[in-house]
Amino acid sequence: MLDRRTLLTTALSLGAMELFPGLSFAQARPLVFATFTGSWEEAHKAVLVPAFRKETNNAPIVLDPMLSVDQIAKVSAAKSNPPIDVMLHDPGPALTALAQDLVEPFPVERSAAFKDLIPDAQDPNGPAAFFQVVGLTYNPDTVKTPPTSWADLWRPEYKGRVGITNMNSTLGTGFMVEIAKMHGGSESNIDPAFKAMEQLKPNLSAVAANPGALATLFQQGQVDISPGNFNAIQILKAKGVPVEFVAPKEGAIAFKTLIQIVKNSPNRELAFKLIEAAISEPVQTRLMQAPYLVVPTNTKVKMTGEIARVLAKDTDDLKKKFVFQDWKTINAQRPAWIERFNREIKL
Amino acid sequence: MAVALPDVTTYPLRLASPLALFFAAFFAAPLVALLGLSLQGPDGHLGLSQYAAFLSDGFSLGVLLGTLWLGLKVTAACLVLGLPLALVATRAGGWVRGVIILAVLTPLLTSVVIRTFAWIVILGRQGVVNSLLSSLGLIETPLRMLYAEGGLVAALAQVQMPLMVLPLMTALSRIDPSLWDASEALGAGRWRTFVRVTLPLCLPGLIAGAVLTFAAAISGFITQSLIGGGQMLFMPGYIYQQAIALQNWPFAAAMSVVFLVAVLAVVLAFNALGRLARGYAQT
Repeated sequence: MLDRRTLLTTALSLGAMELFPGLSFAQARPLVFATFTGSWEEAHKAVLVPAFRKETNNAPIVLDPMLSVDQIAKVSAAKSNPPIDVMLHDPGPALTALAQDLVEPFPVERSAAFKDLIPDAQDPNGPAAFFQVVGLTYNPDTVKTPPTSWADLWRPEYKGRVGITNMNSTLGTGFMVEIAKMHGGSESNIDPAFKAMEQLKPNLSAVAANPGALATLFQQGQVDISPGNFNAIQILKAKGVPVEFVAPKEGAIAFKTLIQIVKNSPNRELAFKLIEAAISEPVQTRLMQAPYLVVPTNTKVKMTGEIARVLAKDTDDLKKKFVFQDWKTINAQRPAWIERFNREIKL
Repeated sequence: MAVALPDVTTYPLRLASPLALFFAAFFAAPLVALLGLSLQGPDGHLGLSQYAAFLSDGFSLGVLLGTLWLGLKVTAACLVLGLPLALVATRAGGWVRGVIILAVLTPLLTSVVIRTFAWIVILGRQGVVNSLLSSLGLIETPLRMLYAEGGLVAALAQVQMPLMVLPLMTALSRIDPSLWDASEALGAGRWRTFVRVTLPLCLPGLIAGAVLTFAAAISGFITQSLIGGGQMLFMPGYIYQQAIALQNWPFAAAMSVVFLVAVLAVVLAFNALGRLARGYAQT
């Protein structure tokens, strides 16, 4: 018999199951891969996920796009039963995840593709699935002579037209370290960069809150030249925004993007297979082509297209042109640097 | 024979219990957890060291005061622009009123992100305002409006305007129009009628609107970061930076509690002002 009470109970439990699907299906949840937002998610959905499905006989997988720092916050809030199985991290957050004991070591000995990676990408805590590259970005309509060096940002003709990001992002911090190095500093001595920033102030039009906001400023003509992420610029270019990327003569800053298995993940085997697919030659070859233009870490991949044109023709060339930074040293001081940037960089 | 009739003027407390439970679980409990977290010192001991660190630091206090000041400026802008609009909307009849209500409500149906991006287009170096001014020959180099506080106040005021206008319209429409006629018949001019009759009677709506716009403006994380930029720091962005970029949860928790208390103080001050003003208006 259907009385008011049973109806209400049924409705409430159905509602609860709808709100918390984990309640009823706690045992078999799909593999959760925390990718980055935007074009990264599209690229992984289009190339990596099909490759993973093929390898695992259609194992269920969910992409959960978010920033590295948000991944760490989510996993460290539920260490024993993490809501994510595979994390994607820039070098700074990757070290934070390690320090907080959130990472399961990658089973190197079982991996077929691991040994094909560039030595810099062979990290037993999680191999680098691709590189992110920071160089100079400029608007070719307004900047007639292409810049060649970070120092060009200081040229008087760019008064009020330069954009940067603050140090919250990997891009902002990496840029400051490179500027410090140019002026005699290093990963452990950032002072010269802050001094140089004082002189950059008249040129600054914007200190964007994040790299995404910086990229959109090119669209509005708010900035004409800035340090920029290779992939973010390619997306803008594809939309018809007049913007070009060059690797400065000091070398383009390269960040390894590590792909890591989350500690206590209930889907360890599937997580391994996803990472194996991410570092494999076919997947990286496909991801390197337009429109994704992801810089590969697998030495077997032959560089073609835009990447060969503006970044590197092959692995040796890449080693010559890329600058890697010591993120262990950087990470130890980064909070203090961010605080200092808060206080000193006011327009 | 006296049969005890059920009292229909009161409702049993248990009717409120589902919502009370919901609030306890999803509002009160996290708030208590936040408080607990904020008492954790850098060395793991319990204490007030995070609060001491925040309150003894001129820079942090400056961010807090700057945020509250921003909220006051946005509220003032909403009030100055919103009150005349609400007056016109309530006194005008027919289609004028309909058009105004539609104009006030439409932005509410659009995401804050989209409205904020629209402001980037308007305020940019080659934006609508700058190109208009330079084509009129009024300026030679583009004005800096994006990533500047003036632009931020304008954008926040537009984004939060409905929160001011809607309560004002409700309050104004409750005023009996014959009061205005009576006031004028007794010799008061328009301005006097506005100050002595309209303003005191719409105070509840005005205060509700001010509290809503103030709260929304100081916590408007998206607009603050997209129009204000990365070097103009306000409390929401500062808390986000400490919690997410630096993973310094105890300090971020302490900042949140300080921010919450400061906002509550300003809201109480709004209410107190309203009560004072009402007392003055009635004498």
